[in-house]
Parts: sequence; C-alpha cells; structure tokens
Amino acid sequence: MTDFIKHPVVDLPERKLEPVISTEDLVFTGEEKSQIKTWISRYPTADGAIMRGLWLAQEKFGFLPPEVIKLVADEIGVPYANAYGVATFYTQYFKEQKGTFVLDVCTCFSCQLCGGYDMLHYLEDKLGVHKGETTADGAFTIQEAECLGACGSAPMLQVTNGPYVHNLTADKIDAMIDAMREGKMPEFASVTLPQDEDELGGNRRSDVTTVEPYGPCPVSETLS
Amino acid sequence: MEAKSKAGEWRNFERVLLPAVKDLHKIEVYELNEGYSALREVLTTDKWDPTSVTNEVKKSGLKGRGGAGFPTGLKWSFMPPVDPDVPRFLCCNGDESEPGTFKDRQLMEYNPHLVFEGMLIAAYAMSIKTAFLYIRGEFADWITLMESELERAYEKGYVGKDIMGSGFSCDIVIHKGAGAYICGEESSLMNSLEGKRAYPRIKPPFPAQKGVWGYPTTINNVESLACAPIIIRKGGEWYAGIGADKHPGPVLYGISGHVNRPGVYEYPTGMLITDLIYDVAGGIRGNKKLKALIPGGSSTPILRADMIEGVTMDADTLREAGSMMGTSGMLIMDEDTDIVSWLRRITHFYHHESCGQCTPCREGTGWIENIVTRIDEGEGNLRDLDLLLDLCSQMEGRTVCALADAAAWPVRYTIDRFRADFEAKCRPSLVPAGGILENA
Repeated sequence: MTDFIKHPVVDLPERKLEPVISTEDLVFTGEEKSQIKTWISRYPTADGAIMRGLWLAQEKFGFLPPEVIKLVADEIGVPYANAYGVATFYTQYFKEQKGTFVLDVCTCFSCQLCGGYDMLHYLEDKLGVHKGETTADGAFTIQEAECLGACGSAPMLQVTNGPYVHNLTADKIDAMIDAMREGKMPEFASVTLPQDEDELGGNRRSDVTTVEPYGPCPVSETLS
Repeated sequence: MEAKSKAGEWRNFERVLLPAVKDLHKIEVYELNEGYSALREVLTTDKWDPTSVTNEVKKSGLKGRGGAGFPTGLKWSFMPPVDPDVPRFLCCNGDESEPGTFKDRQLMEYNPHLVFEGMLIAAYAMSIKTAFLYIRGEFADWITLMESELERAYEKGYVGKDIMGSGFSCDIVIHKGAGAYICGEESSLMNSLEGKRAYPRIKPPFPAQKGVWGYPTTINNVESLACAPIIIRKGGEWYAGIGADKHPGPVLYGISGHVNRPGVYEYPTGMLITDLIYDVAGGIRGNKKLKALIPGGSSTPILRADMIEGVTMDADTLREAGSMMGTSGMLIMDEDTDIVSWLRRITHFYHHESCGQCTPCREGTGWIENIVTRIDEGEGNLRDLDLLLDLCSQMEGRTVCALADAAAWPVRYTIDRFRADFEAKCRPSLVPAGGILENA
C-alpha cells in the first residue's frame, strides 16, 4: 500500500533546495547576537523573541528564505518549524525577494472610497507592473495592502514596512518615485490633528519637519 | 431622552487625552504638564492601594475603547488573588487594524507617556510586574518613537525597578507585530506575544485565569489605559460626569471618508452623529447628501442616512439605532457611493485576514467574497442575496473567535439596509412571481 510513497505515480516537481544566501553571508554579527539575547531576556521563554529575530533578519538579508529562518531559529534556540510557522503567518515578513522599495498601497474601504485604487492603478501604469510584481530593474514592488490605520489621510501607502506617505496624489507619487530612483526614502510625516490646527498653529511636534494636515479626500474614479 | 444638538458648544471642550500642548511626546514637557503625577500619587501616598485604584476606575464607568466596550475596572477585578510564585502580565493592545480606525496611532505619537503611565497604574492595580505593549508592525516609525521615549522613562526612573522609591517594580516591553488583523483579538494577541502563529484560543479559560504563557493576564486597549492616569488625577466622579451617562468619558473619534475635515477629534461620548458630521468634520465633501455611515470600524453595522436622526455616539443609543459603538472610527459615505463595491472590499478584507483556524470562517469568508464580487460584476442572481444571508447565519457564532461574526455582520446588515442597491446590480429574474410550479 505504501509503495506509492517510494515510487510516486506522478512526477514530483523538482524542488530548488540550494540556498539563496551563501553560507559565508549567513551569519549574525556579535552585535546582532547580543541584541537577540536582550530580546530573549525580556520574555519568559525564548519563543517571544522569534518575531523580533525575524524582523532583524529581514532588515539584514532583505527577505526570509528558509535558510535565514533556520538561522534565526538556531540563534534563538527554538525548533525551525516554530520560526517557519511564524514567518509564514504574518504578511509583513517577505518570504520571497522583493524590490528595493516595496510600495504597499492601502485600498481597504476608507482608502477605496477616497481613491486608493486610482493611486494603485496610477502606480501600476507608471512602473509598468501589476500589483504583486517587481519591476525588471528590481527597484520597486507594488502591493495591495489591507487597512494600514491611516484612514483620515487616505489615500496613502507605506514604503517597505517603514514610513507612511499620506494624502496621495499623482504628483506626489511622481515626486516620490523620482526621489526613490536616487535612493531616497520618504521622510516621516506627522499628520496633525484638526483641533491642533485651531489651537496650536498646525504643528504639535517641533522635532518633525514634514507635517501634513488632514484634508478632504479626492473623488475616486474606480472602486476596484 | 431626546438628545439636543450641541453644535458649536463642543469647541469649548477641554481635551485631556491629547491636550493642546506642544511637544507633549517629550518626557520633559509631559512632566511639566502633570506627567507621571498620577503614578506618583498612587505609588507614594497612603490614599491608594491596588483595590482602591481599581474601584476608582470602576467608579469612573470607563468602558474599553478597543471595540467591545467592556467595563475596564470590572476587567481588572477579574484577576485572581496575588500568588507570589505565579507571574502576572498586562498587555496593552496597540494592534489597531480595524478598517476605519486610526486613533491609537495618534495617541501613541502625541502622548506616549500617558500610555506608559496608564500601563503602570494598571500594573499597580493588579500587582503586575511585566507589561507588554503590542503594536502592529506597520507602525514601525511609531514603534521607534515609543521605544526611545520608553528609554527616557527608564532613565528617569518611572519604569523599572523600585519606581520612585515605592518598592513597586514594573517593566514595559514593546512587542512589534508583523501585519495580521487577527492579532487585535486578545487571545491571538497572546499567542503572537508567545512567538506563535496568531491563532485565537477558545474561551474559557479567560485571559485572567490563563493568559500569556498560561499565567493570569489582562488585556486593554491603548486608549482605555491612557484614561487611567486621568481618572486618578481628576477622580472617577469627574470622569463619569463627562458625556453620556452609561458610557462616559472623552473619546477619540476618527472620522474618515467623504467629509471636508477628516481626522482624529477628542470629544465626549454621547455626541450627536449629525453634529459630528456636519459641525465637527465640516460637512460632506462637495455639499453632497449623506448616504450611509459606519459608526465604529468595519464590523459595526452600517447605518442609513435616515437612521441617524437624534442618534448619539454611545453604546446604548447606538444599540437602539441598530449598530454598535465599536472603536468610534466613523466612515462617512456620500450619495454617490457604490455600496456593493464597498461591501466587496470589506469581504475581501475579511477573506484576507481570516487566520484559517476554523472552517466556517476560512471557507465562508472566501465564498462570501466570491458571491459579492459576482453581484458587483453584474453576474449575480437575486437568489444570491438569500444565499449570502444563509452563509452568514452558518458562520455567526460557530468559530473560536469573533472574526467570523465580524465578517458576517457587514454583509447581513448591508443587504438588509440597502437591498435595493444589491437588487439593482443583480440580473433580473426570469421566473415569474410565485415560482414555476404554481404557473405550470
């Protein structure tokens, strides 16, 4: 009965098992190791540090192929399966290689009603790729994101799990892409509260230079 | 009781969660504005012990601001008696992912120390020595800010060992999520903290009995905990006197969608919805008419424009009107909104965010999305609407957590309240009224 396991009836697809990242590169520096140790010490068990460890690895290697997940698991001292399970559950961990800039365009319903899909389509046309794809030069990946928690400043996008770009317009996207081609990340922008505009002159934080107010959203042309 | 419009009057409301103070996120400025004074009072004066702090919060009538609206003080009192051998934990839920909600992010950016102070007061009230602050991974910039401000608080001795020489110690650990809506559900937040896949757990046992790593745990929303220092500073009675009788306090309204002035506003509960839309948020964009709104995030039932006359933003009135307070993240839709396309996007959201643990939710959310998409594309039949409602009743209450319910409610209520919009998009029925058999 178990013959078919040894001799499969169908040809199994060839699995690429060669690691993407070479063995020499696949190490944590002493500093990173001690950082992981600090995180482990903050939780009752080492497992708590898995998510932080994966974040660290993703920032270092750009994405999380199996060998990187294994490296994290070994460093923290948990089974590979646990770390793999965590890495595959959360959307922000990249399991495959992405562009230098990952553009997560929010299209969840507040953004949808305020033109999130217009911005997504504009980006797709501009960069010549569909959502979920990376440009040929490896610079940009466009993704459709679920609610990013900035509904008042819709439409908006997030760049590589980092800064938010609020109140998107076609001009703003053009300027952003031009800056990114020169390797510049957008700056952190503080969105001021409408009440502060009345009482504090529109800026609450003196340590932030880029400040944006909430404003009425554009009229959306497409809803999907 | 008929609620009267207070248009204009709200301008006099003095904000407490986000007061008009420049650079309040810096610890020096926060200290000058009564910062950590509530914590000092609680820790160093004889007036307060853990029980009296909990009682004061109970007296204030504070209800959780994370969506369910459970009384915060009551939740705190569910913790079992202190056993020195058993650790206890506090989790502050900053995984703000409910579509339409964006208030906690602003609170964490502009008043992070109020959140820390609230966490410490809650930790003292429940004799907790470790408090976790779970923030969703997308808020990377805000996590960096919170971490550097937490470091300041450690340096100044507000957090850590022997706080202000009182003998009370408490650590705060910031945990960075990685993008999963389900982590906002308390039991899956606990699994996520433990470094597991964020599957919700079956309740009971409730977190107070068996929480993170199996130890007693209390989980509160960021905004709920931020209210604790204010309650201590100004007194529970003062807090209970603000806003609606049974759902008091200042609340952060996140208004988004087709309004002239969207944004996060701090006002008391119990404000008229019409005041919020037409006065606070400056009315509907382009002087259009209101079509519908959701009062508190995607899971709360949608309200038609004709259903909001005299309805105020508090749990009881909204329940009577046929909706819920939720997270008070309001989405306003004008008359041009295509409700079917809008519902299609919601169903896509829940399909994407279902964790896949329970079959009714994993499969049901996908089926719902397919059917709503079919209707939106003009390929649907009238009987699909009843099929959708049937699917909803197969999902509600049959899963470990409430995500299936949250996915089913928007479908159920939107079809119920906007049936004509759906029927207009369906293919016309070829079967004469009364069915085939009767006419044969």
